[in-house]
Amino acid sequence: MEGLSAYSLIAEPEELRALTQLASRLEGRSFLHVNSTFTGGGVAEILNRLVALFRDLGIEARWEVMKGDKSFFDVTKKIHNALQGQEAKITTQMWEIHREANEANAKRISLDADLVFIHDPQPSAFVLHRKYGLWIWRCHVDVSHPYLPVWQELESYVSRHDGAIFSGAKFAQSLSIPQFVVPPSIDPLSEKNKDLSDQEICQELEAHQINQDKPILLQVSRFDRFKDPVGVTHAYRMVKKYHDCQLILAGGTATDDPEGEEVLARVGEAAEGDPDIHVLLLPPFSDRTINALQRSATVVLQKSTKEGFGLTVAEALWKGKPVIGGAVGGISLQIHHGVTGFLVHSIEGAAYRIRQLLHNPELGKKMGQMGREHVRRNFLITRQARDYLALWIALEHRGERVIAV
Amino acid sequence: MQEEDLGSKQPFKFFECMNLLQPTGRQAQDLPQLLSLIGEAEPGVIFHHTHQYYLKAAIEIPEYTNDFAVWAAESLEERALAEKLASLDLYGCEDVEEVRNALIRIIKTYLRENPAPRAARNGDAFFFNDAVTIIMEAGPMAGNLPEFIEALRTVGASSIYFHFFEARMRLHGPADDFSVWLNQSLGREDLAQRIQRLDPYHYSLEGLRQQILSVL
Repeated sequence: MEGLSAYSLIAEPEELRALTQLASRLEGRSFLHVNSTFTGGGVAEILNRLVALFRDLGIEARWEVMKGDKSFFDVTKKIHNALQGQEAKITTQMWEIHREANEANAKRISLDADLVFIHDPQPSAFVLHRKYGLWIWRCHVDVSHPYLPVWQELESYVSRHDGAIFSGAKFAQSLSIPQFVVPPSIDPLSEKNKDLSDQEICQELEAHQINQDKPILLQVSRFDRFKDPVGVTHAYRMVKKYHDCQLILAGGTATDDPEGEEVLARVGEAAEGDPDIHVLLLPPFSDRTINALQRSATVVLQKSTKEGFGLTVAEALWKGKPVIGGAVGGISLQIHHGVTGFLVHSIEGAAYRIRQLLHNPELGKKMGQMGREHVRRNFLITRQARDYLALWIALEHRGERVIAV
Repeated sequence: MQEEDLGSKQPFKFFECMNLLQPTGRQAQDLPQLLSLIGEAEPGVIFHHTHQYYLKAAIEIPEYTNDFAVWAAESLEERALAEKLASLDLYGCEDVEEVRNALIRIIKTYLRENPAPRAARNGDAFFFNDAVTIIMEAGPMAGNLPEFIEALRTVGASSIYFHFFEARMRLHGPADDFSVWLNQSLGREDLAQRIQRLDPYHYSLEGLRQQILSVL
């Protein structure tokens, strides 16, 4: 980690001043994060960088990952899908599997910390074993329209925390505990987002047998049905009639996502027979490859049908690319329709906007410039770190609406 | 009387601030619901939705700068109502309750004089949010006008927001902090009055900073 000074040429000075002042108030305090995967998806990625940044600021930050067997992750995937609105039957026995796995992990992991962040539903029952300090449930999922029987069950754990954080205001629920909105962020200095030379980009593309002789449409995301990779292949085929382009679907599967392989197989079927569709199953820590792919793309897609936030949108905008995204969840926080990209509601809409951008490269360039500035002002890791520390102080001054630090 | 003769009675301390967004979990799908929830909302909620735009790090200037007007225009497609809500004279209101009453009056009149608007589509409800403001000291204090001008040039934009909007409306100051200090500590009533005549709701924070600097 490069230290806070490394961000001084990128982030707003005011943001860095606030972060430093807040951190000085919390120096030496302990901050524990618990989630369920070390790799795959945006949560693990940002924790990796945030924890290092907090340590650099003098806070004793720690990140622990809970373990579980296939039965546990089958249950938590069902819970995850239900929170995103899919009807799901979670039996008493399934909830018991969830609770027991939480109990076993809570005994294994030291929960001694002044502030504990529990990320997502997987470790939500850790709270039954809380010792001291403040406990926050950090939700990264699009819970705007949850399947209520599952949400209500989960809420019995959520409400035992001292507060809950959602990625957007539209995800907020009627809860008995304080709620906050903190959008996720990207680290501009990470391997995934730092600048690459043209030569470095070419090397990465060549390693995956991709050349740049045709415009590249790109979607980077886990192979998850809510990311709609199959829908993206359909949109590409509609565009292909008019533009000789290529499609890259790149992503991995997370250890806490048992459905990934099934979705990947369906994508493979949809792509079959077209040499211009590249399906890249990337191993964990392929950040440099993803960086190069995003920088080589003409148009980036994130055609999700549900999305907690969609860090890949911010990543692509940061690289000056126009992004076409599903008008759902956190994507609409990042894409200002017609300014930094386009929000779409259908496969046809995605195809239409791709054609529009391929026809008008200047429009894409302008959107990319606006997108990069939008990310710089709103979605950098320094802003998220600042918000977390401010929230810590706010919870220690509960009831006060204006707090002097 | 000029400030050089008076000297500074009390230095001006600049603060910067940030907001933490707090959803209330309440939402309105149509105009009658919006009216009802405006009536019940905590004062901080009304303040947030009429002022929070200014702290947003927006990359484009929106058509309207209060959330109620934006929602009326975009989600209800009631442009005339949006214009009336956007024209609400926030700076003429002494406190949040006056803002709330003005909003209620505008919406009630609109409902009485127009056919009932349709409800917003699913997902386009108005979500009521509150905010916690964290304030932090921002650099050196100003003891006289040149120091004040110099500090005003360099503080973060959130400092303008805090001293102009938050201090007056939410913390019940008699006017913005800048004009109060210029008047009370430097005896520059002339400058204070000129600052109070600015139309702050039609500038970005950077624009407002430039306007104040040009007055000084």
